[in-house]
Amino acid sequence: MRPFTYSRATDPSSAIKMLAQNPNARFLAGGTNLLDLMKEDVERPNALIDISELGLSDIKPIAAGTNQGGISLGGLGKNTDTANHLLVRQNYPLLTQAILAGASGQLRNMATNGGNLLQRTRCPYFYEVAMPCNKREPGTGCGAKEGINRMHAIFGWSEQCVAVYPSDMAVALAALDAVVKVRNADGQERSIPIADFHRLPGDKPEQDTNLPHGELITAIELPKNRFADKSYYLKVRDRASYAFALVSVAAALEMDPSDESGKRIKAVRIAMGGVAHKPWRALKAEQLLVGKEATDANFKLAATAEMADAKPLEHNAFKVELGNRSIVLALQMAMNGGKA
Amino acid sequence: MVNSRNPMKDTTKTIGTPISRIDGIAKVTGKAAYSMDHPVKNSAYAILFKSTIAAGTIREIDTSTAEKAPGVLAVITHQNAPKLNVKGGLRGGALLQSPEIEFFGQNIGIVVAETFEQARYASRLIKVTYDKKEPKVDFDKLANQARLPKDKEKADANRGDAKAALSQATIKVEEVYQTPIEHHHPLEPHAAIAEWDGDKVTLYSSAQIVNGAQSAAAATLNLKPEQVRIVSPYIGGGFGSKGGQWANLALAAVAAKHVSRPVKLALTRQQMVNSVGFRQHNQQKVSLAATADGKLTALAHEITTHCAINDEFIEPCGDCSKIMYDAPNSLITYRVVPMNLILPTYTRGPGKSTGSFALESAMDELAYKLKMDPIEFRIKNEPERDPSNGKPWSSRATVQCLQEGAKAFGWEKRNLEPRQNQQGNYWIGYGVSAGTYPAHQRPTSASVKLKRTGDEVTATVELAAADLGTGTYTILTQTAADALGLSIQHVKVKIGDSDLPPAAGAVGSVGAASYANAVNDACRKITEELVAKSGKQFFAPPTAAQLMRSEKLTDYQTRVDSKAPDSAEDYSSHSFNANFAEVAVNKSTGMVRVNRFLAVTGAGQILNPKTARSQIIGGNVWGIGMALTEESVVDPRWGNFVTRSYADYHVPSNLDIGHLDAIFIREKDEHVNTLGVKGIGEVGIVAVAAAVANAVFNATGKRVRDLPITPDKVL
Repeated sequence: MRPFTYSRATDPSSAIKMLAQNPNARFLAGGTNLLDLMKEDVERPNALIDISELGLSDIKPIAAGTNQGGISLGGLGKNTDTANHLLVRQNYPLLTQAILAGASGQLRNMATNGGNLLQRTRCPYFYEVAMPCNKREPGTGCGAKEGINRMHAIFGWSEQCVAVYPSDMAVALAALDAVVKVRNADGQERSIPIADFHRLPGDKPEQDTNLPHGELITAIELPKNRFADKSYYLKVRDRASYAFALVSVAAALEMDPSDESGKRIKAVRIAMGGVAHKPWRALKAEQLLVGKEATDANFKLAATAEMADAKPLEHNAFKVELGNRSIVLALQMAMNGGKA
Repeated sequence: MVNSRNPMKDTTKTIGTPISRIDGIAKVTGKAAYSMDHPVKNSAYAILFKSTIAAGTIREIDTSTAEKAPGVLAVITHQNAPKLNVKGGLRGGALLQSPEIEFFGQNIGIVVAETFEQARYASRLIKVTYDKKEPKVDFDKLANQARLPKDKEKADANRGDAKAALSQATIKVEEVYQTPIEHHHPLEPHAAIAEWDGDKVTLYSSAQIVNGAQSAAAATLNLKPEQVRIVSPYIGGGFGSKGGQWANLALAAVAAKHVSRPVKLALTRQQMVNSVGFRQHNQQKVSLAATADGKLTALAHEITTHCAINDEFIEPCGDCSKIMYDAPNSLITYRVVPMNLILPTYTRGPGKSTGSFALESAMDELAYKLKMDPIEFRIKNEPERDPSNGKPWSSRATVQCLQEGAKAFGWEKRNLEPRQNQQGNYWIGYGVSAGTYPAHQRPTSASVKLKRTGDEVTATVELAAADLGTGTYTILTQTAADALGLSIQHVKVKIGDSDLPPAAGAVGSVGAASYANAVNDACRKITEELVAKSGKQFFAPPTAAQLMRSEKLTDYQTRVDSKAPDSAEDYSSHSFNANFAEVAVNKSTGMVRVNRFLAVTGAGQILNPKTARSQIIGGNVWGIGMALTEESVVDPRWGNFVTRSYADYHVPSNLDIGHLDAIFIREKDEHVNTLGVKGIGEVGIVAVAAAVANAVFNATGKRVRDLPITPDKVL
């Protein structure tokens, strides 16, 4: 590990100031990803600012503002606590499922909500410093594009980077239209819609998110919705636990109450993991389903339309068919209230 | 303490009873000292640094910045390393003796510093430039250049004319089966503490073969064996990777000598992929032919694999095919292509686990073609004697394993046709397989020391045996207690130290048979000596414990050099098993889950059913991993492993494993050795992957011949 200074912040504003002053400083929260990356010499901060004692871990109803009626998840809330909180379990079971599908119990106990959003790709070329990687070292090339890319992107990749974003939690957040609340060194708060939080790699793969250096994620807000009865997080992976998704799908449906059959879709959200550099909202599939009946045939049409835009690499063509099936299965499971 | 109810009787027999591990409490409370845990004063820390090319030569290595980094004590490269004997018996080369690079991640230096973190940081400041060569690492492209093995045991083995029989046959299966590179990845990475005292060095390091580690380290370091002491009381998993030893062991000693201080040198998890061997990729063509009523007429097993550029190791994938079935025409061949990867090595169930995947998948395929139940098909081809050498079996329980397993598993519920059993969104399927692993007793010495205080007699048993975490301490305590007439509380077993009487390794399933028979022989010898010493004649021979009391002795000891009975050579001795798997395959996603797995094993005398069960189900989990999840992937451009951690190399998680069950056949083998012990360390993994793959076929109708069976292959 490279030498670094360690300091423990006591309040958010001084933490943000300390970070903003030093472009090579990093916040340390759960450390489940950052410390691994430092040991591997991928991340090379010269200063760590420990923010684990800042509070910012409450999970509470939002009383006022645009998201009134929703809930707010503290940026430093632990993944485990978030997944198991009654407000989350009752109102956003999709998020509970997604968080519990990720990592392992031990990691979730340490990992924070804000940190989860900022975790970095698990692309093996990113992790091994002897390999070329434009994300780790811009200009060195992409090791994965012509290399071993079974786990990599089928949507939105660029010549510079084909990595996927690893989070499960964020896929559910994308489906739930979450809003990321951040604060800067001047104490100003602003909101970033989850869809704008993560980036596609383009020609700047080194930049995972649109969060500038010097800002702190204070909370993640979930707007009120009517998806709780009909949502499901499906994760397809190489082993049943502690494995990143080959493909995952967060699906949520709200039926039209004015429709007598109860089968007409009023609103639908579909987001995918394991397929792109960010949680991939399947907007095309969503548009095809709104106002339609929730039938297997319509699910298949929507899934096929969404996956038609996929551009697989040498080793991951299977993700197109798998993604198609997974969208259908996740929607079916959501319709059944999460049961097979 | 004597038995309070019956002072004349110290204990009842404990062999064959499910005693919990003697060392269990020490392990779960953290008191058991693994390699790096031994308290050594004033130790420095070393880390290896490794090549970032797979083939070529180091042109220049600039260590000047690293040497000035905080805490750094030394940087050792081929330029300043002492001369070592590269043929000393350590595996895999990489001993810093030349600038030549033969594989990606080859050791090219050691950094020694006050702390591990300082050593690792400094290692990143070293600048290396290379003259690169095109590496040979793409097996798919190189397989057609494979040559005959140098290893004589891998020469073509012909019986009858399999090729002719196959060409004439109408009912046959000819398929190619692939198993990927696998890594052992024991929880405890390879690590050593080296501490010199004059011209002698103590190496605290996990070793499956204590005396082998001693002699290889000594020869490599140009020392006599007695100048090297190996201390290895506990092993945090090995699975073959700590059988033969690797460069890290000698390099720890080199580093300690260089800085004149004890040195701790541990590999990181990421370094494990190119430091301590692996299981090679095997491409296996199996051809089977049978008559319409299911009698095998030909069996050919043709293996193509790879080895290191300058050293050969080939796991014996053809071994099961040599002895499992009675085919009049048989052919087993090996071809091998050298590649720029570290030397492959023994990995749990070497050859048999991977070879059985091919053979037992093909058996299933042929049974299906014949529309025969695969159990009936196997029983029909059961050989009366060992087909490879004509010797009688010392015992063979294949048929019993298959039949008792079928009953216990509910095999009658299986459909012969695939894709018949649907439950919700899952296809359900059953699969069966049979396997084997040889049984041997290897020369082992042991000493027994008896001590009496008042009526209390205690025994200390000593031998340089190894406990992989599988129960060596426990079974030897039981063996000695029974043979001496003591309770297990009065027996202390000391192993894992090369200062103790030399012993075989805990490798190749020889540990239990070699150690337990040696301890039993030592205990019988001490009893005989005590009888002789007493000068009395006994109608019913007393125990050693009783003799210590009756003869009022306070201390007595003896030692024995034990080996298998000569008559064992007249028999073919193997453990046998049958495996039963029930899988559920998600119809949409292709994810496979093993709902139930049953292993039925005939392995002679089971010394301790509890530790034995753990051994078997541990092997089953490995086998399920082989079937479904485990794969090490090489980038064919650069020769690096892209799967370098537990996050990328998928050993099964608890959620991957359904209900496991193990049954042992009651088997009394009077030929294999005195105690009738055949060994169970490996047989638990043999043919497991085939049972799972056969179940996946039965569930879905899809035959996957390329492990692991990940969702993309089932879709």
